[in-house]
Amino acid sequence: MELDQALQTFIAESREQLEDMENALLAVGREEEDESEKVNAIFRAAHTIKGSSGLFGLDHVVAFTHVVESVLDRVRDGEILLVDDLVSLLLSCRDHMGMLIDAVANEGADAGGGIAEQGAPLVARLRGYLDAPQSADPPAAAAPAAAPAGDAAAEDPADDEPAGADRWHISLRFGPNVLRDGMDPLSFLRYLGRLGAITGIATLSDAMPDAAEMDPEACYLGFEIAFESDADKAAIESVFEFVRDDCSIRILPPHSRVSEYVRLIRELPEETARLGEMLVRCGTVTAGELEAALDTQTVQSAQPSEAPRQPIGAILVEQGSVQPAVVEAALARQKQVNELKGQESRSIRIDADKLDQLINQVGELIIAGASVNLIAQRAHNVELQERASTLSSLVESVRDSALQLRMVRIGATFSRFQRVVHDAAREIGKDIRLAVSGEDTELDKTVVEKIADPITHLVRNAIDHGIEPAEQRAASGKPAQGTVRLNAYHDSGSIVIEVSDDGGGLKRDRILAKAIERGLVEPGRSLADGEILDLVFEPGFSTAEAVTSLSGRGVGMDVVKRNIAALRGSVSIASEEGVGTTVTVRLPLTLAIIDGFQVEIGKTAFVVPLDMIEECVELSAEPGHDYTNLRGQVLPFIRLRDLFKVEGKPARRENIVVLKYAGQKAGLVVDTLVGEFQTVIKPMGKLFGQVRCISGSTILGSGDVALILDVPSLVQQAIQQGAPQVSSKQAAVAASAC
Amino acid sequence: MSRTIMIVDDSASLRQVVAIALKGAGYAVIEGCDGQDALARLNGQKVHLIISDVNMPNMDGLSFVRAVKQMPDYKFTPVIMLTTEFTDKKKQEGQAAGAKAWIVKPFKPEQLLGAVQKLCPS
Amino acid sequence: MATERKRKKSAPPLCIEGEMSIYRARELKQTLHAPLEKTATIEVDLSAVTELDTAGLQLLLLAKRSAQARQGDLRIVAHSPAVGEVFALLQLDGHFGVSAPASSDTPQRH
Repeated sequence: MELDQALQTFIAESREQLEDMENALLAVGREEEDESEKVNAIFRAAHTIKGSSGLFGLDHVVAFTHVVESVLDRVRDGEILLVDDLVSLLLSCRDHMGMLIDAVANEGADAGGGIAEQGAPLVARLRGYLDAPQSADPPAAAAPAAAPAGDAAAEDPADDEPAGADRWHISLRFGPNVLRDGMDPLSFLRYLGRLGAITGIATLSDAMPDAAEMDPEACYLGFEIAFESDADKAAIESVFEFVRDDCSIRILPPHSRVSEYVRLIRELPEETARLGEMLVRCGTVTAGELEAALDTQTVQSAQPSEAPRQPIGAILVEQGSVQPAVVEAALARQKQVNELKGQESRSIRIDADKLDQLINQVGELIIAGASVNLIAQRAHNVELQERASTLSSLVESVRDSALQLRMVRIGATFSRFQRVVHDAAREIGKDIRLAVSGEDTELDKTVVEKIADPITHLVRNAIDHGIEPAEQRAASGKPAQGTVRLNAYHDSGSIVIEVSDDGGGLKRDRILAKAIERGLVEPGRSLADGEILDLVFEPGFSTAEAVTSLSGRGVGMDVVKRNIAALRGSVSIASEEGVGTTVTVRLPLTLAIIDGFQVEIGKTAFVVPLDMIEECVELSAEPGHDYTNLRGQVLPFIRLRDLFKVEGKPARRENIVVLKYAGQKAGLVVDTLVGEFQTVIKPMGKLFGQVRCISGSTILGSGDVALILDVPSLVQQAIQQGAPQVSSKQAAVAASAC
Repeated sequence: MSRTIMIVDDSASLRQVVAIALKGAGYAVIEGCDGQDALARLNGQKVHLIISDVNMPNMDGLSFVRAVKQMPDYKFTPVIMLTTEFTDKKKQEGQAAGAKAWIVKPFKPEQLLGAVQKLCPS
Repeated sequence: MATERKRKKSAPPLCIEGEMSIYRARELKQTLHAPLEKTATIEVDLSAVTELDTAGLQLLLLAKRSAQARQGDLRIVAHSPAVGEVFALLQLDGHFGVSAPASSDTPQRH
């Protein structure tokens, strides 16, 4: 079942990859883009599809994509030019791959024979580009397993007596680096146990120097192993394939001649007596067999030194008596081990899609609950109303728990910037450190996924344009090392992320000059400080005098702003010349469900996110004004009826909903205050993408649709509207904001 | 003690199949969709083995392995590289970077499992 | 499980906790050798060891050898399943004297 799901993912992913491949192919030759990036994208599509289809056993897909990939690999290396002909051939190949994937989608993993054949002409044409000999194409698989030369001798009929019964003998000496490379000899030995039984094993630490010189991260061990198994030599060798270059491995098959063992002993670095002892110890040969063999060997070899002979014999006899006890102890131990396994983990991993599904279902539950509430009220049944309200509060806590599941700490996102800062700073030769705070601040996973790019851009901006070169910092009495800071905290239903630097700050006169030059501002117009800084978010604005590889890629702050606005967030900038710049990003905590406050204009319902409402007061403004006096402070407001051109007369007593966002306040004039309710946010269709002041829609208990108001843009609009007439008052409002 | 393996590949379906195979053999699995993502997800938690693709967007496998081998918590963690049959050079680069084990794509789940069990028995 | 030996020296056994792995190898080398400065024979309690890899095992072998070079010994008085599994795999129980009853340790070195 799970595999089925994975297959669906594969199909969806392959289609995406094919789309990317097509786009990249179509973009080939357009001068303005990086050609190698396109080739990479095309290659990656083929590569990914091939890799995954192999996992699903879709061999016909592998076979076809393999040829495509081979050609693309040559293209990537510059050996084949991506000329028009090849582009159109690759486009045909893309289409064919699409058909193969469609067949998998329609008929399952077993699909394919017929369509695969249609690929033959394409394969033939692709091969035309692979000028190398055809035989080179199907790789490794076809290469015959090299027959190890040493084997022939070992497998010869014995010309001296076979020893060691029916066991393999494996001799291992690990190189010093294996542990540092993460290759633990114990792991290989455990795996070896899967191919058969280790009947005897001796650990050699002779190569290990004394404590003073011993490097605890280096490996000094070797093993002599008697191994009982039906596996062949290649299979046993393959256990150690990843350490082949870092380990000397000798394998003797069962029933090898005694002389083979003796040769082994002579080849190994340890002294003969030690090795003999070890071979006996692991049970490969008996003491008697070896002693006899070594005796004759010594006689045969023209070095009749008597010294080694005596000790060998002595030690072997001694060891022979010790061995049984050792083995017995080992067997007893083995039984105990397997009993204590596995403490259960306290946490489980859940597929993010399943969580999303849960949140959607909770959303539906909330809507259904609201409609039950409504009916209960209409029915005037007190008992029903009580139960319905209990139900609502339960649903509310389920909602909170469900959303909580999707909350993740921002710390992980922050920590990846350590490297970004490190690399980027080095690239441009500045000494910059990253200071991080508020890592424990949580936010919705879907939000966190989407902010990485904008934050990256802001961090790079800070490194590139914010922090001054070291000489300049020294001249202005700052520490040579610049600091970029990331901070996060919660503030009234939002998460606030600050990216700041202790660099030179933004130069207002230069911004203004550039804005005038770009035609963003009319010359001679006077702008408030904040308004000047906000100009950097205008499309096409860049203060960098020199475009660098870091942030001068034409993606400006306007894109950052747009991306954040798409998440119902906002971005603002504060800067002091010579001291530094802080960019503040505000985002909603979640994109799915909020506590809303329902208001009405006539019969039309609107929803305001509750945590952005400061208070509600009765409207008491003089007619014609669009500001009022709120306890001695000027409060600009917007009439919702005018904003959305709702027909009908205003109610006799209108109300003001006081909104607060990013430290600023503004009023919203409405007819009726309905009350709080849980709001499941439904995104607006693309059609409404340009509509301002609306961030989404929701379904009320009655089944009616209500629009969710976009508080940040409303507050901004109210303040701007008030500005021309009451610019001094606006300053007062701004000052009143905390 | 359950062992944790990280699989880093930009193909979601490959990660899914690998995760199914590994979980079936008793391992815990962490997924990363590219080098950058994987670095963020490591986040100090114990990982016994890392399997990484070479060719990935944002941060490729080689840069990722080099970064991992610089981190005190992971410098001795074994790494299996997923390579293609063309890129012998990449394999050598990978080994130089610290990824001593490799599997050639495309591979079958049981091949991967075999390699994993050699380095990190379940 | 482990046969504890009652031949107590004055010092309590050296207790090692957590991973005995390459990540801690430098620290563990110190830990194991520090007591050998004072006494030739040390007792080690490995019952709280959660993981033992080759690097950790090597250090035990080294410490035992260092102790024996001074006519002393390293004795393991207790050990965890993780340690037991490695000893069983390598058939080292006898070497470390963890389950062979009564008899003295295998005479390994000349």
